[in-house]
Amino acid sequence: MAETFLNIGVILLQIVIVLGVVLGHVAYLTLAERKVLSFMQDRLGPMEVGPHGLLQPIADGLKLFFKEDIVPAGANKFIFSIAPIISLVPALIGFAVIPFNEAATGPGGIIHPRITDINIGILYILAFSSVGAYGILLGGWASNSKYALLGGLRSAAQVISYELTMGLSIIGVVLLSQSLSMVDITMAQKDHWNILFQPVAFVLYIISALAETNRIPFDLPEAESELVAGWFTEYSGMRFAFYFLAEYANMIIVSSVGAILFLGGWHAPFHFMETNAPFYMISPFIWFILKVYFILFFFIWLRGTVPRLRYDQLMKLGWKIMLPVAFVNLIVTAIVIYWLK
Amino acid sequence: MIKKFLHQIMFIEIVQGLYLTMKHLIIKRPITFQYPHEKRELPDGYRGILVQLRYDDGSEKCVGCSLCEAACPSRCIKVISDEVNGNPLQRYAKEYIFDLSKCVFCAFCVAACPVDALAMSKFYEYSTYNKRDLILNKEKMLQMGDKAFPIRQKRFDITKKHLNIFNLGKKNFPPVHQ
Repeated sequence: MAETFLNIGVILLQIVIVLGVVLGHVAYLTLAERKVLSFMQDRLGPMEVGPHGLLQPIADGLKLFFKEDIVPAGANKFIFSIAPIISLVPALIGFAVIPFNEAATGPGGIIHPRITDINIGILYILAFSSVGAYGILLGGWASNSKYALLGGLRSAAQVISYELTMGLSIIGVVLLSQSLSMVDITMAQKDHWNILFQPVAFVLYIISALAETNRIPFDLPEAESELVAGWFTEYSGMRFAFYFLAEYANMIIVSSVGAILFLGGWHAPFHFMETNAPFYMISPFIWFILKVYFILFFFIWLRGTVPRLRYDQLMKLGWKIMLPVAFVNLIVTAIVIYWLK
Repeated sequence: MIKKFLHQIMFIEIVQGLYLTMKHLIIKRPITFQYPHEKRELPDGYRGILVQLRYDDGSEKCVGCSLCEAACPSRCIKVISDEVNGNPLQRYAKEYIFDLSKCVFCAFCVAACPVDALAMSKFYEYSTYNKRDLILNKEKMLQMGDKAFPIRQKRFDITKKHLNIFNLGKKNFPPVHQ
């Protein structure tokens, strides 16, 4: 009995730690994005709150918390209220299967630096990232606003087009590691990262991840110059903050999955680095988080560089180019693996 | 054709763009100013708030001639001139009302002034909660003039002296047309 409670307590503690770390990262990712973008545009970015604007995310959060909560007339109140939560929960729940670190032997047995390791981890993340799209869709529909509706529509079309490519690019990795579990996929990359064998799939994954998280150049659902703010035009206060959190949490989860699937998770760039000095001192967690940071930085970097695609260009890229390339990549991978095994 | 295809496959244009933004991120310094904390150097001849000046002995330059009022295209200046007490030939502006909210900063008044009593300062922060604060009187303009132009023009003693002699002896002079 006592052991059961202890186990539940440990799991709850893990969840609290992971959520705290993730939400902290989400908050400071907004600041990092603003800072990096402004430096790319020869500006300084937020400088007022705290030294070099370091407390800006806290100020933003407090401001959003005290803002008036407006529900537009004619909106479907129930769906309007629940849509941001539908968007946020799947974004945060995906972190349950992300392995942050190598399993280590601690005082109370083996410590697993992850909440859980289910044997269909990658499928679980794909499923929940699709549920997240419902939040956007319902929020856009329930707002009773033409801009929000258009944003929701575009988001639905975009998610459907790019989820296929994303899934197909991931299947190549699954074929290589013969497992759907995130931990097993990471273990399989001990000697060589998957990006060496699946460079095309990596590029496809990054592009479709950008589209999934509604980032520039695929930010059509919230295109500022056309749709005010897209699906969350009518949202304010904490509900707006939920959408914002969901967007950035999705960015982090997509980067983590990219790091685990293609960049070897917690493994060092070369195998000898894990056993030899001086790289031995670097914790596997540091390697993992560096890779995540790199992909996140790359997303921000792209935002500072490329303009938004037109709607037909987006559809053309998704269906006419990326999907066939993903199929060819998958077939070639399958044939090669069949030969070798 | 093949070259174009290869360029598209290798994302050449996007890589070039990424290189450019990275250059700006690392090498180029920000060119903006943190405005309320640091202010940029204003060029010479900047036209801010209109101010009035004094001579070095502290007397105001303005002689109340109303030429600025006549020159003003937006009619934001109102001068009420009066005689100096005890010196009927010298005049001054009893009241000088300048409506900053109407001013177009053309500096025609400065050009029109015969005694250089007006000048454009470099003050440019006019924001206020009360619109009436933008209607300035003579005292305020002189105060701002002292702040903007601490070095004052010397009053021409020679002119004053001659003028005085001229004024005093005017009635004893023989008529000019003889």
